Amino acid sequence: MKAGLVLAAFISLCYTALIFLIALYAHHRKETGRSIIANPYVYSLSIAVYCTTWTFYGSVGRAATIGIDFVLIYLGPTLTAFSWFFVLRRIVRISKENNITSIADFISLRYGKSLWLGALVTLIAILGIMPYIALQIKAVSTSFYLISGFRGESIHLPRGGAEVTLPSGLLLAVILSVFSVIFGARRLVSSERHEGLIAAVAFESLVKLVSLLGVGLFVTYQLFDGFSDIFTRFHKMQPELFARLFTLGSAVNDPDYISSFSMLFMSMGAIMLLPRQFHVMVIENSDESHITKAMWLFPAYLFLINLFVMPIALGGILATGSAVGADFFVINIPLVSGHDGIAMLAFLGGLSAAAGMVMVEAVAISTMLLNHIFMPVIVRFTPQAWFPLLLINLKRLGIFLVIFLGYFYYRIVGDTFMLVNMGLISFSAATQFLPAMLGGLYWRRGNKAGAITGILLGSLTWFYTLLLPSFIRSGWIGADLLASGPFGIGLLKPTALFGLSGMDLWSHSLFWSMLFNIGGYITCSILLRQDEREYDQLRKFTGMFDLSRGYRHAETKRLSKPVTITQFVNLMSKFIGETEARGAIFAYIGDREIDAVGNVSEFELPNLKRFTEKTLAGSVGAAAAGAIVDSFLSDMGSRMESVYDIFSNVKTSLDQSREALFVRLKASEIINRTLDLQIIMDDLLNLLLKEFKLDAVIIQLRTADGDLTVRSYQGTNRRPINQKHWFMESKPYCDMALVDRKAHFVNDTSLAAGTVALERTIGEGIVSCAHIPIFREGEPSLGIMSVFSKSIPGLFTEEFLGLLSSLAGQLAQAVTIVREMEARERERIQKEQAQLEHARVLRDMEIAQQIQMSLLPGSAPELFGIDMAGRCISAAHVGGDYYDFFQYNDHSVDLLIADVSGHSVGAALIMSEVRTLLHAQANSALNASTILQTLNNQLYEDLTRAELFITMFYAKYNSATGRLTYANAGHNQPLVRRTGESSCIRLDAEGLIMGVKKSVVFEERGIELLKGDVVLFYTDGVNEAMNPQGELFGTERICEHLGRVTHLSVTEIIDSFYTTVTEFTESDTLQDDISLVVLKIH
Amino acid sequence: MPKHLRQQLMHRLQMPESWVIFFIMGIIMMNFPFMDIFNKASTVLGFPLMFLYLFIGWAMSILVIYLFTIAVGNSDDKHRETNQP
Repeated sequence: MKAGLVLAAFISLCYTALIFLIALYAHHRKETGRSIIANPYVYSLSIAVYCTTWTFYGSVGRAATIGIDFVLIYLGPTLTAFSWFFVLRRIVRISKENNITSIADFISLRYGKSLWLGALVTLIAILGIMPYIALQIKAVSTSFYLISGFRGESIHLPRGGAEVTLPSGLLLAVILSVFSVIFGARRLVSSERHEGLIAAVAFESLVKLVSLLGVGLFVTYQLFDGFSDIFTRFHKMQPELFARLFTLGSAVNDPDYISSFSMLFMSMGAIMLLPRQFHVMVIENSDESHITKAMWLFPAYLFLINLFVMPIALGGILATGSAVGADFFVINIPLVSGHDGIAMLAFLGGLSAAAGMVMVEAVAISTMLLNHIFMPVIVRFTPQAWFPLLLINLKRLGIFLVIFLGYFYYRIVGDTFMLVNMGLISFSAATQFLPAMLGGLYWRRGNKAGAITGILLGSLTWFYTLLLPSFIRSGWIGADLLASGPFGIGLLKPTALFGLSGMDLWSHSLFWSMLFNIGGYITCSILLRQDEREYDQLRKFTGMFDLSRGYRHAETKRLSKPVTITQFVNLMSKFIGETEARGAIFAYIGDREIDAVGNVSEFELPNLKRFTEKTLAGSVGAAAAGAIVDSFLSDMGSRMESVYDIFSNVKTSLDQSREALFVRLKASEIINRTLDLQIIMDDLLNLLLKEFKLDAVIIQLRTADGDLTVRSYQGTNRRPINQKHWFMESKPYCDMALVDRKAHFVNDTSLAAGTVALERTIGEGIVSCAHIPIFREGEPSLGIMSVFSKSIPGLFTEEFLGLLSSLAGQLAQAVTIVREMEARERERIQKEQAQLEHARVLRDMEIAQQIQMSLLPGSAPELFGIDMAGRCISAAHVGGDYYDFFQYNDHSVDLLIADVSGHSVGAALIMSEVRTLLHAQANSALNASTILQTLNNQLYEDLTRAELFITMFYAKYNSATGRLTYANAGHNQPLVRRTGESSCIRLDAEGLIMGVKKSVVFEERGIELLKGDVVLFYTDGVNEAMNPQGELFGTERICEHLGRVTHLSVTEIIDSFYTTVTEFTESDTLQDDISLVVLKIH
Repeated sequence: MPKHLRQQLMHRLQMPESWVIFFIMGIIMMNFPFMDIFNKASTVLGFPLMFLYLFIGWAMSILVIYLFTIAVGNSDDKHRETNQP
C-alpha cells in the first residue's frame, strides 16, 4: 500500500533537485539581466508563501474538528489586500528608498534608527516564529512517515554492521538549513533580491496549489459525486457534527464570534507583518506596479487553495469514520483509498509548502538577527578586512539557529497542539508589530519610546499568556502555573489574566497584548517627545507623498569636519567588501561635481554620508549602519551638527524664504537710494550685520592699479586696518576669491588653521568667515566682501552663500554704475576746461591782433603830389604781415612792406621787433639797401632762434625828384602801372631773405615815377590766393586788375583788390594775410 | 449607455473613498452581527448556508478588487504623464 522509504526518499530528493535547478536557472537569468521573476504572477505566487503546511494539512484538520472558521485565516488577507494599493505601495516605496532589509529594519528606521527597537523586534520575531517553524517540521515529518510507511521518530539505516539512527525531523531541519543558506545567504547585501529563492518559492506555491486542487478534485469527484453529494451524505450521517462544523462557535446556542474575530484580525495583520511576508512582499518586490495585480491574484489563489478544504475534511471523516488524524487527511484519504500517486502528489505539495516557508522565514529572520543582534555588537570593534567574511558566516549561522530553534520547539511541544493552533501563536506574535507599524506610517506623533514600550509590553503579555502555556501544556514546565497562577495568585493565571475567562486562548492573549501594546504606544508617544533623529525619519515615512510633489529636502545638517570620499569608501569596504564599495561609490559620484583632490563640496558631504549609510543599510540594516557611520565619524573627530538656520523660523528650502527676499529687497533699496558708493557700502554692511548676526563685515575694492583696499568696515571692535590687523590673515582667501570669482568660506576657523595661518583671527574670536567676490557676470572681480561670525560655526550654507553672492552681485552693479558716472563726470570737466582754455587763448589772440593792428600805421602820411594808402587784413588773428611809412620831410617818405613767415604769435612778435628797429633808424638818411642790411644783421640771431624768416621790400620816395629807390629782401616784387602801357613794371632788386645769412649785401635800385603811375606793394596772400579749381591768383591778374582800377583813389584801389581776391577764391575767409600798399602819383 | 455606465463605475472605483467603504464593508460582513444571519445549520440546494455565504462573499470581494485594479489601471494609462505616483 505505502510507498517504501527508498522510493519516498528518492522522489523527495528528485523534487528537491528540481527546485534547486529552478532556483539556479532563475539566478542565471538574473545574472544575464532577463529576470523570470519580475512579473506580477511570480510576485503573487511568492506572496502565497503565506500558505504553509498549516494551510495544506492544518486547514483540513481544523475544518474537520472545529469547522469552517479556518476560512477566516484567508479572508483576513483578502480584506487586507484592499489596502495594499495605499499601505503596501507606501511601505515598498519607503523600503526601496532606504535599502530596508527586513521588518525590524523598517520599524527601527522609522523610530530614529533605534538599535534597541530593532533588537526587540528581532527577538520577538525569532521567538514568535519558533512554533511556526516547528509546525512545518512536524507536518513534513509526519507526512513523511505516512507516505513512507515508517512510524517512529527516526530512520534506521544499516551501515557497516552498526545501525545509524537519524531523527527525520533533524534531518529535515539540516536539509532546509542548507537549502536556505544556498538560496538566501550567498551574498551579504540583503536588500538585494534573491531571485533564485523567489523562483523556488513561486514554483513551490504552484506545486502546492496544483497538489491540493488535485487531492480536492480526487476526493470530491472521484471518491464522491461532487460538492452536494459530500454535503448531503455527511448531513445524513452526522447531523450534529454537520451543524457544529458549519457554524461558528462550539454550539449553535453559543456562537463564538470573538474567536472568529481574533482569527480575522490576526490574519489581517500577519499577511503584512510576518517576517517572511514582509520579505517577499516588500524586500523582494521588483516593481511597484506588480502590487496592483497581486491584489486580486493572491486572494484568488487563497480562494482556490481553500475551495476543497471542506470537502476533503468531510470526505475524510466519511472515509475514516472519525476526525482523528484529520491534520493529515490530505495524504491519508488517497492512501486509504489506495491511490498512492495522489498521496505522493499531496506529500510533495506539503513538502513544498513547508520548504518554501522555512527558507524564506529563515533568510528573513537571519538577516534581522545579523543586522539587529550581531551588528550592534560588531560595530563596537574597529572594522577589519575580514569583516565581510565574518558577517556572511554569521548570517548563515543565523539561518541554522532559526531553523533549529523551531526544531527544538517541535521536540518539546510537538504533539500537544494541532497544526493550526501552533501557527496561531506565531500570528499573535506578529500582530504585536501592528501598532508601531501603522502608527509609524500614518501617525506623526508616534515615537520611539512609544514603539518600544508598546512592543515590549505586548510581547511580554503574548509570551506570558500564549507561549508559556504552550510549554506548560506539553509538560515541559509544571502545570501548577496554569492551574493556580504564579505564587498561587489566581488573578495572574496566564490563561485567565485578571480573571478574564470564557475566551479562547488566542483571543484572550490577543486582547490583553493589544491592550497593553496599543496603550503603551499611544501613552508614551503622547507623553514623550521625539528626538531629532526620529524627526528626520518622520518626513520619509509620513511625508512620502509630499516628496513626490517636487518638495526638496533642504540640508539642515553639516559635518563639523570634512571627510574625504576615500575615507568613506574604506569604511564601506570593511563591511561590504572593496569591489562592492567601489562600485557603489562610482555609481553615486556619477555626474556630481568633485574638486581636484577628489572631494565633494562641503554641502554634498551630508548626502555622501547618507548614501554611505544607505549602502551599508542594504547589508547590515539601517540602525547598525547609522551606528557604524556615527562611530566612524566620531573617530575622525567629526560629527553631524545642525546647520544654523540663518532664516530664523522658516526652514531653508530651494525656494526663496521670506527672510532672504526681505534682505534682497532691502539691499536693492539701499543701492538705488543713492549714488554715493560709500553710503551704499556702509548701509549694505550694516544690513548684513543686523540681519544675520555677523560680527564683522568688510568690503574691499580694487584700485586702478589692481590692489585691494578696504573701503568699508563695519562691526564690533573696529580697529584701523594695517599690516598687523587680524583681517590681513584672510588675504589668501580674498586673493583666491578675486581670481576664481567663487565664494571662499571657512565654516570652522580652528579646522582651517592647518592650511592658512589664522591665529590672530581665531584670537579675535572669529569662528567662521566667508569671502565673496564682487563681480558682474562675465567681468573681472571688482573687490571682495568679507563676513565674519564669532558665534556660529557652520554658518555658511549653500543658501546663505547664494544670498551673499547675489548681494555682492548687486553691489558690483552699483560699483560699476558709480564708477562709470565718475568717469563721465571727469571727462566733462576736462572738456570744459579745454574749452575755457581755448576761449582764453582766443581772447588773448584777439588782444594780440588788436595790438598788432595798432602797430600798423593808422593812416598814410600826407605828401604833396602823391596819394598813399595801406591796409592789412589778417587771416588768422595775429599775422606776420607788416607795412609802414616813415615821413622825414615834406617831400621824402619811406615805404616798406614785409612778411614774417608763418602766422604765429612768434611772427607777430618778430614783426613788432622789426617795427621797433625800423622806427629807431627811421630818421637816418640811410639808403634802402643799408637799412635792410642793418636790419638783417640785427634780426639774424632772433630769426634763427625762432626759425623764422622775413621778406621785406623797402622803398624811399622823393616827391621833389619823383625818384623811388628801393631794395628787396626776397619779397614779392611791387608792380608799377604806368598810364598807356599795357603791362606792369616789376620793381626788381637782388637780395636774400632776412634771417638766412648774417651779412647780406642788398642791391639798391631806383626808378623815376611819372605822373599817373600807380605803385602796388603787396604780400604773397594776394598772388597766392587760390580758387576752388586750384588756380593761383597770380601776378598777371594783379597787374590786369591794377590796370583797370588806376583811375580810382588809392583806398578804393585797395578795396577793389580785396573784393576781387575774395571773389576769386569764392570764400568769405582769407587763406592768408593780405597786405596792400598803394602809391599813386598825380 | 452601457459604455457610459462602465465609465461612471470606473470613475467611482478610482476614488479612495470607495476602497475604504468596501474594506469596512468586508470587515462588517465578516463579524457579528452579520455573521449571525448565516450562522445556521441549514442548507441551500444541499450546500451549507455558512459555506455558501463565506465562499460567495469571498469570490465577490475578489471580483471587487479586480474591478478596482482595472479602474486604477485605466487611470494610470490615461494620466501616465501627468499623474505619476
